[in-house]
Amino acid sequence: MSDQFLFIALPYVALISLVIGSILRFRINAFSYSSLSTQFLEDRWLAWASMPWHIGIIVILTGHLLAFSFPGVWTTLAAEPVFLITVEVVGALCAFLCLFGVLILLVRRFVDAKLQAVTNHLEIVVLLILLIQISSGLAVALLHRWGSSWAPGALGPYLHSILMLRPDAAYLSDMPPFVKMHIATAWVLLMLLPFTRLVHAMSLPFHYFFRAPQKVVWNSSRSEARFEQRLEKDTERRLFIKASVGLGASAVLLSLGTLDKFFKYFLKQDLSNEQEAHLLSEKLHRLKQSAQEREYELERMSKDDIFVAKLSDLSKTKGKYFIDYQMRPALAFRDENGLPILLSAKCTHLGCTVGQDLDEQGRVLCPCHISYFDIKTGSPSAGSPAKDPLPHIGWALQNEQGKTLLAQDAEGRREGSIEPGQLESSLLFIVKRFSGEAA
Amino acid sequence: MDVRAHVSMVFHLDKCIGCHTCSVACKNIWTDRPGAEYMWWNNVETKPGTGYPAQWEDQLNFKGGWVVDKDRKLKLRSQDKTDFLPKLFYNPNQPGLSDYYEPWTYAYQNLFDAPLGKDQPTAIPVSKITGEPIDIESGPNWDDDLSGSPIYAENDPNFKNLTADEKEMLFSVERISMMYLPRICNHCANPSCVAACPSGALYKRGEDGIVLINQDKCRGWRACVSACPYKKIYYNWKTGKSEKCILCYPRVETGQPPACFHTCVGRIRYMGVMLYDADRIEEAMKVPKEGLVDSQRSLLLDPHDPKVIEKALANGISPGWIESAQRSPIWKFVMEWKLALPLHPEFRTLPMLYYVPPLLPVMGRTENNIYEHDADTIFSTIEKARLPMKYLSMLFSAGNITPVEESMRRLLAVRIYQRSITMGDIEAERLKRILREAGLTEKQAQEIYTLSALPGPEDRFMMPPIQREEAVEKTGCSPEQCKGTCGLGKTQKPERGP
Repeated sequence: MSDQFLFIALPYVALISLVIGSILRFRINAFSYSSLSTQFLEDRWLAWASMPWHIGIIVILTGHLLAFSFPGVWTTLAAEPVFLITVEVVGALCAFLCLFGVLILLVRRFVDAKLQAVTNHLEIVVLLILLIQISSGLAVALLHRWGSSWAPGALGPYLHSILMLRPDAAYLSDMPPFVKMHIATAWVLLMLLPFTRLVHAMSLPFHYFFRAPQKVVWNSSRSEARFEQRLEKDTERRLFIKASVGLGASAVLLSLGTLDKFFKYFLKQDLSNEQEAHLLSEKLHRLKQSAQEREYELERMSKDDIFVAKLSDLSKTKGKYFIDYQMRPALAFRDENGLPILLSAKCTHLGCTVGQDLDEQGRVLCPCHISYFDIKTGSPSAGSPAKDPLPHIGWALQNEQGKTLLAQDAEGRREGSIEPGQLESSLLFIVKRFSGEAA
Repeated sequence: MDVRAHVSMVFHLDKCIGCHTCSVACKNIWTDRPGAEYMWWNNVETKPGTGYPAQWEDQLNFKGGWVVDKDRKLKLRSQDKTDFLPKLFYNPNQPGLSDYYEPWTYAYQNLFDAPLGKDQPTAIPVSKITGEPIDIESGPNWDDDLSGSPIYAENDPNFKNLTADEKEMLFSVERISMMYLPRICNHCANPSCVAACPSGALYKRGEDGIVLINQDKCRGWRACVSACPYKKIYYNWKTGKSEKCILCYPRVETGQPPACFHTCVGRIRYMGVMLYDADRIEEAMKVPKEGLVDSQRSLLLDPHDPKVIEKALANGISPGWIESAQRSPIWKFVMEWKLALPLHPEFRTLPMLYYVPPLLPVMGRTENNIYEHDADTIFSTIEKARLPMKYLSMLFSAGNITPVEESMRRLLAVRIYQRSITMGDIEAERLKRILREAGLTEKQAQEIYTLSALPGPEDRFMMPPIQREEAVEKTGCSPEQCKGTCGLGKTQKPERGP
């Protein structure tokens, strides 16, 4: 419940507040947009506070942004120990810089009388939240080692789900408390940003780099028009430069991922016979797989029942994979009475194939996001990201002569009967009429 | 040639009596607000002295203005595109409150509320920032009239070229001398504050050259405070925005001189339109510093030249403004008579406020209780002036004595000419020689005397035609809509953001 609030409701409140709040503040009270520097009133402490704080936070925020924007690239890079250790060390150093800076920022607010004249409660609140945020971040970095390696993979999907408007707090449900705290505080900070001095972060003066040194403003349209005529060339040139820089930068960004293939295409590497043979065999393997798939499909279209296994071949602890009528992976087990249990192996969370091994509680595990499913009921255990049960699949047992002895549909309704003696020799089939299509 | 008009100024220092009426007028109108108490958009300094803020002229400390770099390019001394980023979070070149003073008032209420006691109740000074009692350590004009003092005058950055002997001479009790230097924003034609503003909030008005800060765009990065070599941009500690002299533009737009001009009891201030060539600014500001006065003058265009008039009209400058420029007292002081000089042209910002260097009281000098005078010139000679030419040249011509000497020689010639009229004790031959040596005609000497000593407001302030209606007409904004958008242009309370 609190997860739902902190990681689904709060983020949207924060994002709406961030966007609408800052636009409204800019439109209604642009005058209040300022860095609100206090260097004029107090500059001895500030040098030791502002520099470490800003340098630290800029590096850390850039790191977070890169890791969560390009989780794939980042995770690959982080698999390299040199990269991982560098990132972790730099990150930790910066976090300590921030901690040092924010502590001094906080202290000077209380010890300097002049500063108190321009300090409001919100400023103290913001500094305290920043302190909490830096501390929890540091705690995560130190207690749950190698965050830069696991976090993009584990938390990236959560952020993605928020941004894609498919919020899913389940990604965070098994996270340690410090991680949860760090994320929740981040949302609080974003929510408060438009109403605090933090807005100055949104008016970073990047356009300074692109403008002419002098700025002349003409109030009368007549002279302005003349002036613009003369400046037209100048402006065009500047626009051209800006556009080229922008296009160039985006081209570079785009090419980062594809450059490798691009060059390979043109350079046409010479392959050794072995490499070529390997490539060919891989291709053949893929073709075979695809052919196999088509065969299965055909079989399922044409036949009313499909052989799964001899009942005696099935195990109670290790499931046997087979393909059901919908061409989905499925698992076959035996229960304690020796009767078959057939259920879909497609995880109801994001569609991974669940594992075939039963644990002590009689559950199978989806390795992608750690969902446990009880095979008897099919339902996921509490805390799993998956919320829906794996559906059971209907089956039929036939004797060697092809006579159906016992059948059970997906809901567990049985027809016919079977002698215990016949069990070991009977054959397990899945039946078209029990699958969704037949019904 | 890109002809632009500029409302320019001349301060005649010979006439300044250091009464601070200008400062008070300005303060009452513009800076009597919380956060702005310490701002003196107009202040009057005693020279030699450290000025306000202390030692503002020391650019090795505050790093304002432009320099010519190795590649012969004009470059901001600090806060340019590569320099501002590392200084964004903490600027080591920014003057702090201690370089100005902590504003204070007195606890007057105590005079009424104090309980009955043996002693008279007092009104102790309390800080205007914290409200707590303070020990006043400095204040506005703290070194007023303190020339010769070891703390203030001797630390004047303009003495760095003078030898120890020269300095000692200057500070010997018998020779102590001083002058007043009233300062407002120079509304430079090549402003380093505008160039340094990361937010693009600072701008120069195209029509009249007034430099302003858009308070809505200012983000309080304070680059301008460091970049302005004259330290005429002040950071409002309350609102988190920078502020500066606005040349009373609501008054200028309606044909009135700014408040400090209007109230000047010494009538030292002149205002008028100048035409200048904006195309050549960069080139002219790159010359070696000895040539800066001349190259700055070369940018000012003769408003009587038909070619200039033609270009000015083509640039949208109205005939009324051109006529105003032709009658401008500034043109006469700066270009025709070459009396007025820019303050610290070596900052390369092309200041559009010019100063006539002071002859009085610099000239007066007694020895053995006898007023020393030269038999030849009646008055002393400028070479023997109490304030050495070298010192004045540090102020007004980047260390080049020639322009200062030229100006002083002319001022002296006018005085001798005037004495010849009132006293009749100077032979015509000598007078002619003196005027010739100074490069003046009798008519010019008479004109200089008239405009210096007897000008009425209509002579001092050649205000350009009213711009506001014209501007409203041009922008197509109806008077109903544009009503109430004068002054600081804000209808909203300038309150500090959260």
